[in-house]
Amino acid sequence: MPDTIAREDLGRLVHPDRVHRRLYTDPAIFALEMTRIFGHCWLFLAHESQIPSPGDFVRTRMGREDVIVTRGRDGRIHGLVNRCAHRGAQLCAAERGHVQAFTCPYHAWTFALDGALASVPHRQSLPPGFDLKDPRLALATLPRIESYRGFVFGSLAAEGESLAEFLGPMTEAIGNFVDRAPLGEIEQAGGIARQEFRGNWKLHHENANDTLHPGFVHESSVAAARADKRDYATPAFDEHQTHTQMLSNGFGVREWQSLALTGFAGGHSYMGGFYKGGVLAPDRDDPVWRDYRAALAARHGEEKTARILAEDRFNNLLYPNVSLNAQYQQIRIVQPLAVDRTRVIAFCFRLKGAPEALFHRAVRFLTNLSSPASMILSDDIEIFERVQSGLANGVPEWLDQSRGLATDRVDNSGRRESTGISELPHRAQYGAWLRYMTGGA
Amino acid sequence: MNAAFEGDVKSAAEAFLLEEARLLDAGRFEEWLALFAEDGFYWVPAAPGQTDPLNHLSIFYEDKSVLAMRIRRLSHPRAYSALPAPRTAHLVGSISVSGSAEPGIDCECRSTVMVAEYRPSAAGGERRLWAGQQTHKLRRTGQGLRIVLKRVDLIDCDAAHGILAVPL
Repeated sequence: MPDTIAREDLGRLVHPDRVHRRLYTDPAIFALEMTRIFGHCWLFLAHESQIPSPGDFVRTRMGREDVIVTRGRDGRIHGLVNRCAHRGAQLCAAERGHVQAFTCPYHAWTFALDGALASVPHRQSLPPGFDLKDPRLALATLPRIESYRGFVFGSLAAEGESLAEFLGPMTEAIGNFVDRAPLGEIEQAGGIARQEFRGNWKLHHENANDTLHPGFVHESSVAAARADKRDYATPAFDEHQTHTQMLSNGFGVREWQSLALTGFAGGHSYMGGFYKGGVLAPDRDDPVWRDYRAALAARHGEEKTARILAEDRFNNLLYPNVSLNAQYQQIRIVQPLAVDRTRVIAFCFRLKGAPEALFHRAVRFLTNLSSPASMILSDDIEIFERVQSGLANGVPEWLDQSRGLATDRVDNSGRRESTGISELPHRAQYGAWLRYMTGGA
Repeated sequence: MNAAFEGDVKSAAEAFLLEEARLLDAGRFEEWLALFAEDGFYWVPAAPGQTDPLNHLSIFYEDKSVLAMRIRRLSHPRAYSALPAPRTAHLVGSISVSGSAEPGIDCECRSTVMVAEYRPSAAGGERRLWAGQQTHKLRRTGQGLRIVLKRVDLIDCDAAHGILAVPL
């Protein structure tokens, strides 16, 4: 069924300056995306710190697939589709944990951490040719898993570009994330934030590096913070971080204009940082930060420390569905559930060797930006749902994304740069979309 | 506490909880905020049995100054996630009141709360049921009881939720 959409027809839905509404509303296109994008790309699975020991597991989604990421006896990481090879029952109901093996609740088929069938009950009733080693009786496993500096990615496709090729220049964002840890390691901690919205998955990333919307969408939280004339010298439980985060979207057009936007042929993009106040400013100078900086300098030396901390970026978007924020130790994963339904998972990291108070800031950041009660993200999500509702109309058929088109600079590698308020990230994302959806086999 | 005093505190605390819920349902957020002590906190944990608001994320963890910003935002004409305003109906029951040895806290109330919420929205409106256990740590002041901590432990605090624009 999904393959009934001809590649040339898909190609007609995407132009540099506009895209067709069907991309957000057509279940057949969604089904194709799950195969050709989420069934092909390297997708973030987990951070190695979530499964440090053999037997540890954590669950995630890869498009339609419910995947268990395990640490095997030999320390290798495996990705198992969460579906018993026998009668199809979901094997594992926990989000994370530690097991010796996975035993199906239905007929007790038991699978090893690498997905191999280890035992079945009542062997005597099975035919003579029944072989535990038959690969058809094992769990479906991910053909490819690779880690980049502790970030574990997997692909449902047996062949394709390597993880390093896929990430391209975005490896720098991951590198900067890890380099910020005085002991050279980061660790997921502080819980998992989960949200769902009634809109297409692409709306999240199209918004994340859109620098024109904050002045409008976040006006209410900016105004509420501006009316609060607080003195940052007064102690506060969150070191005024909530106030800073709300206030920061109040940049003027000229300030947003001054941020750099960078996009790549692979669909990835990043934006410059715009949190300039209080404990979130890049040039912050407070006791926690001074201790942290000293710890970092002890590892890297003064020059490299300065270089690491000077990297002032906000969202690093990995196509199709990850947003990394190295500066504030955050990650978000966008999980498509249906053409008009999306889940967003977010969590933060502890920089090993940094003061505990720095981790508290990362936790606060997560609560402020990724809780369902976020005073900032809730307005974004409301807009995603309004876009989805608006697009239910048959006309007009097109969404405009021409802002900045005339001024974006694009080089031979497909790297795009803009210093302005541009819809450059949208064009980078749709460039990749088009290639995945129409290229290849 | 002697029996009579205990009875006074208990009935005052019960009445306080019901009045607090009524203010939320009426959208009288400024008056609701005024029920908090200056050092009061509002906390909705994001994990069952969460003990720590600093090392683990929360759905809400706000002191009175942050709550004041939240409430100011709700009255803004372009607070999109709360437009039109969600409507709620609180049911507070199974209230128990006990004294407290914590400094600055006179009594601790535990109760069960169910909040039916209707969120008119672009997607056609949404009816939800929030439910859980509440803990109110209260202080007696010259102006009456004040909230030092309101904690709501939702039964589904760690599930994926849509927008939650108003305090529960």
